[in-house]
Amino acid sequence: MSHAWRPVFVVLAVVVTMLVVRVIFVPSDFAAKNGDYKYQWHRLASEQFWKDFSVKHKGREFCQQCHSELVDKIKDSGHQNVQCENCHAMSDPAKKSHPINLKEDFGYLLDIGVDRSRELCKRCHAELSYRPPTYTTTKGTVKFKMIDPTKHNPGVECVMCHDVHTAGFKTTGK
Amino acid sequence: MNLSRRKLLKMGLLAVCGTVIPLSALEIFKPEAAASLIHPYSEKKRWAFVVDTTKCVGCGMCVKACKLENEVPFDTDVQRTWVERYVQLKNGEVIIDSPHGARYGFTKNDPQGHDVDEAEVAKGLFVPKLCNHCEKPSCVQVCPVGATYKTDDGVVLVDRKWCIGCGYCITNCPYFARFFHPITNTADKCTFCYHRITKGLNTACSDACAFGVRKIGLINDPSSEVFKIINTERVMVLKPEYGNEPHVFYIGLDDIVR
Repeated sequence: MSHAWRPVFVVLAVVVTMLVVRVIFVPSDFAAKNGDYKYQWHRLASEQFWKDFSVKHKGREFCQQCHSELVDKIKDSGHQNVQCENCHAMSDPAKKSHPINLKEDFGYLLDIGVDRSRELCKRCHAELSYRPPTYTTTKGTVKFKMIDPTKHNPGVECVMCHDVHTAGFKTTGK
Repeated sequence: MNLSRRKLLKMGLLAVCGTVIPLSALEIFKPEAAASLIHPYSEKKRWAFVVDTTKCVGCGMCVKACKLENEVPFDTDVQRTWVERYVQLKNGEVIIDSPHGARYGFTKNDPQGHDVDEAEVAKGLFVPKLCNHCEKPSCVQVCPVGATYKTDDGVVLVDRKWCIGCGYCITNCPYFARFFHPITNTADKCTFCYHRITKGLNTACSDACAFGVRKIGLINDPSSEVFKIINTERVMVLKPEYGNEPHVFYIGLDDIVR
């Protein structure tokens, strides 16, 4: 046999090894859906991974199970479109203050607490000239309430006078 | 060859007529085009998003909800959705900012950290941004390993197990919607909350919006609000010149928006 065949066998061996490695490493469900190699060439199981991602924001229906009186109150108020989790989901787990362990008992994954800081209310209610001046609820279009935080009782918690769940003032003598 | 004058003229005329029919006139013989005669709109299931910038107050609750829902570390400056503020001063200068992606909202008239007198402001607006889930996503085309793809219903996703973190997709998105996830060490992006929309829920950001700015829906479903808005109102997309066919539609954009 001619010595010239030797490199050919080496090349063939390399190609076969690469094909074997490829069969082992590339998942069997790797495919181009609809024959679209440009945009749909992927591991099909990855779609299921994203479908199975955990749902964390469960909305008012979840909170209502225990706090029905507060949910009813806010549904009838100017804050009717504000979700519980907007204010009560804590971005810092250290601020979690819910007395019941929601994760263990209900499989609810967010950290629930109470944030009474002015910064929270200012996200919507600090006056900026380019904020939309009106706001629409089921009660019609109303003026969007904005204040200048440097002049409107600085240093005081908003909840001292305002009831967030009714979007009005706190009632006294109770 | 026996060719009469009559036959020559007849065939010549036919040849001239045949060549002047443009190719586009034959479009009606395509199956999709023929189907459009029966169904005036496509019945393909395709998710789309509407952002009404005229209602946005810049509270940033959408950014917060998105980060918590999708396990994007809250204190890092990477986000799947963010809100940009465009302020144009009376001297024509445009200031654009998005402090920390607006996850703490806009609470002061301080674009780019400099206090601006309200009297100097000519106009301003907030523009929430997210992945545009393009029909022709340029980020997907450049992935060397097939780790990012478009689903059948038009959502662009990343395969966390397969991504090698090369970052080509991040630099190739014209909307800067992708980022490097600091925990998984892969490329990451908005998924249109695929785990929620496939269960019949809204995205976390649209649920968190108290002002009705953000809406998710099927673009070809006449009962969805997204269908109604896109078909009856004046909507725009961002950077149409890139030809990506983005599927996030904006109401009330301005020429200062980039």
